[in-house]
Amino acid sequence: MAGAAAVALSLAALPATATAAPPPLSAADHRAAAMAEEEAPSEGFGWLFSWLPAWCPTSLLHLKEAEDKMLKCIASIYNKRYVYISNGNKIWTLTFSPDLSNKTPLVLLHGFGGGVGLWALNFEDLCENRTVHAFDLLGFGRSSRPHFDTDAREAENQFVESIEEWRKEVGLENMILLGHNLGGFLAAAYSLKYPSRVKHLILVEPWGFPERPDNAEHERPIPIWIKALGAILSPFNPLAGLRIAGPFGLSLVQRLRPDFKRKYSSMFDDNTVAEYIYHCNVQSPSGETAFKNMTIPYGWAKRPMLQRISQMDQDIPITVVYGARSCIDGNSGSTIQSLRPNSYVKTIAILGAGHYVYADQPEDFNEKVKDICDSVD
Amino acid sequence: MLDREGGWSVSFAGCGFLGVYHIGAATCLQERAPHVIRDARHIYGASAGALAGAVLVGGGSLAQACADVLALAKEARKRNLGPLHPSFNVIKIIRDGLMRNLPENTHQLSSGRLCISLTRVSDGKNALISNFNSKEEVIQALICSSFVPIYCGLIPPSFRGVRYVDGGISDNLPHYECKNTITVSPFAGECDICPKGKSANFHEMNVTNTSIQFSLGNLYRLTQALFPPEPKVLGEICEQGYLDALKFLKENGILNDSIYIHLPFTKKTPHEAAQQHLDHVKRRKLTENNGVETLKMTSLNDQLKQNPWPLEKSIFESLPPRLRKALQEACKEQNGFYAQFSKLFPMRVISYLMLPYTLPVESAYSVALRLVNWFPDMPADVRWMQEQLFQIAATVYAQAKSKLFCTARKDNYASLRKCQTVPSTVEFRSSYCHLKMPHSAAHIESWLWESSCFMQSAMKNAPADIQEQSDLKSYPNFLPNPDESALEIDVDSSSETSFQTAPEY
Repeated sequence: MAGAAAVALSLAALPATATAAPPPLSAADHRAAAMAEEEAPSEGFGWLFSWLPAWCPTSLLHLKEAEDKMLKCIASIYNKRYVYISNGNKIWTLTFSPDLSNKTPLVLLHGFGGGVGLWALNFEDLCENRTVHAFDLLGFGRSSRPHFDTDAREAENQFVESIEEWRKEVGLENMILLGHNLGGFLAAAYSLKYPSRVKHLILVEPWGFPERPDNAEHERPIPIWIKALGAILSPFNPLAGLRIAGPFGLSLVQRLRPDFKRKYSSMFDDNTVAEYIYHCNVQSPSGETAFKNMTIPYGWAKRPMLQRISQMDQDIPITVVYGARSCIDGNSGSTIQSLRPNSYVKTIAILGAGHYVYADQPEDFNEKVKDICDSVD
Repeated sequence: MLDREGGWSVSFAGCGFLGVYHIGAATCLQERAPHVIRDARHIYGASAGALAGAVLVGGGSLAQACADVLALAKEARKRNLGPLHPSFNVIKIIRDGLMRNLPENTHQLSSGRLCISLTRVSDGKNALISNFNSKEEVIQALICSSFVPIYCGLIPPSFRGVRYVDGGISDNLPHYECKNTITVSPFAGECDICPKGKSANFHEMNVTNTSIQFSLGNLYRLTQALFPPEPKVLGEICEQGYLDALKFLKENGILNDSIYIHLPFTKKTPHEAAQQHLDHVKRRKLTENNGVETLKMTSLNDQLKQNPWPLEKSIFESLPPRLRKALQEACKEQNGFYAQFSKLFPMRVISYLMLPYTLPVESAYSVALRLVNWFPDMPADVRWMQEQLFQIAATVYAQAKSKLFCTARKDNYASLRKCQTVPSTVEFRSSYCHLKMPHSAAHIESWLWESSCFMQSAMKNAPADIQEQSDLKSYPNFLPNPDESALEIDVDSSSETSFQTAPEY
């Protein structure tokens, strides 16, 4: 299959020096290339990035292996491929049950720092009677990692356009859009711009909905040295520490997030998940930087979605799923409801689940999502 | 949330002085939804969480416990070095407080319901203790669970002959993964009852099951856990716990305002209880007659009459009267002349300057005091220390012996080589293989972590490897055919391990 991709690329007279950036192809070539699973890691990052792997033991090949391990236990039929979009970017896509075309497909958008592999506990149940697509967001996972605009609005637009181009390329008329964390924010932004494509919007623990509260008087005062530490750390990318840690990064993930191992313990009893998360996030930070530019300290969105959600098409039903234990506030759902009085908005709390709802309580989550999908068609 | 058939449990996270948060939360559960605690299968707890749980199910008074924690915090803050001052004996204060606060039948009340998380010293594994034969056993288990090594002392306490330390080291929030566990933690993170910070950051870390969000507020809380802030700040944390628990009850529809029962096992004088009941009835009548505003006015008036003291009135308003009283008492400043005088800036500077002279005297005094207190436990502790010493000595001896043995063997080879009588298949040590493997930065971390985790194995391997490598360097031209030597390596390395593991004394 890699050979097919190469043929497709050479047909379009691709310059050999292009840095993983195929020029726009004709529609037929596009299809062929999209069907091919390209395995070759991109090269030519420049001297800095060619030096980086020496410090951070990672590469796209490592990421691919880690992802393969994540998806090893999935018995359902699926295909995986790169979908090519404009500017030479490619989107790594998994498609489950591709033959069930009579129902509206479900599209999963992962959260910040994640990738398609994290849905490993959910694919099998969700794809039982409908097609499920999952892809790595632009700038995350195995998708291309382009340079995003530093402006929050532009960066958001780049994400949204990449989703729209992906949809065109895959050939979906409409879809049920499910987004977790950053994916939830982008799913909402996408639904604002392309309302006709979204049959139902499912926001799982969405990030970036409420505004940053101004009045902090009732908060307990925090010592100056802690505030100073916060001010020193805030210009850095959220996961910069992971890359700085270099060879210690993997064990840093294992030590700081041992809960991931427990979440996926029904599937793996080794460090597969930590490896996957590590390799997803120590590559050159592109989506991460974009996310950073879309936030204001600490963790709030520059352009909060609750300000805009009332402009959304009234016909799009929204379901908000949140974990009862999560530290992201669950009452975004009721606020959305009050902002869209004439539309369908439902809030579902999943007990015993934290921010990673779909991994904490996979059975409950899958059941709820399937119910929502069945309510569509 | 509360599943009748499956049952539910409550789990309190370990958190040092932030335990007042648990007291606030527990008070709320006890007063506003008593069945949550009464019908819970188990109450889990580690460290300060276990203390709160023990008071809650063991029939102690939460208000008294709150006063005790604040008194402990004041004691810790009294001296220049804070809780690190040698005369601050945290374990003794906790033990005395529990002895006073828990009733004599506490072991009957808490057996089977209270599960205390402990960390076994010998293997670092977690143990959950839930059956107790006497009040002393309950308290001893709680002491073990609260024993932060080095901070509280050097010799770990024992429970039924086994040495344990702080449960938070192995499992800080027992049964966290269960769906039916109501988790309570004073750190903002993924818990049912926890403070919701003003940070929207979803990055968090997970320390032995307690999830802690990356936020400035949590960083501050972590510093407060072992180095307590002022009593007023602790009081605010307590109030926060009460409000968070109330929010949890409201959100899950458990809160039932018609139930306002003081549990029978709370310690309280009959007079006080009657008074409170009267108050309650009076208030209710007032609400019925004159509406909410009058109630607020009267309660405020009551408060003003009861507490003529200088702190802001609004501060602990949401708390129930007994707890509020305890907090307000604790926050009261000492008004004596000496207390005022010693707080003046020059006096404080002088006291710091005097530290090098006063500290040895105070240390000597507190050491003597501790020695006297130590007498009853001395034989057991000395025996334990002897055992530990023997073990360490034995490992050192075994290692030294095996190392000497190795070098001796190598010398033999060296002499053999000089005689040119070496067989073609030379036994080479396993480090030879290591040398052939690519050394990359990726290996550094495994070396370092292992060395920190398993001191023993590191002590075994590292010196031996260094030595072997230098040996190889000294005979660089003597590398045999790798295919042939590969056969030998296994045999040799296994024999080596057998030398190291078998104690030879």
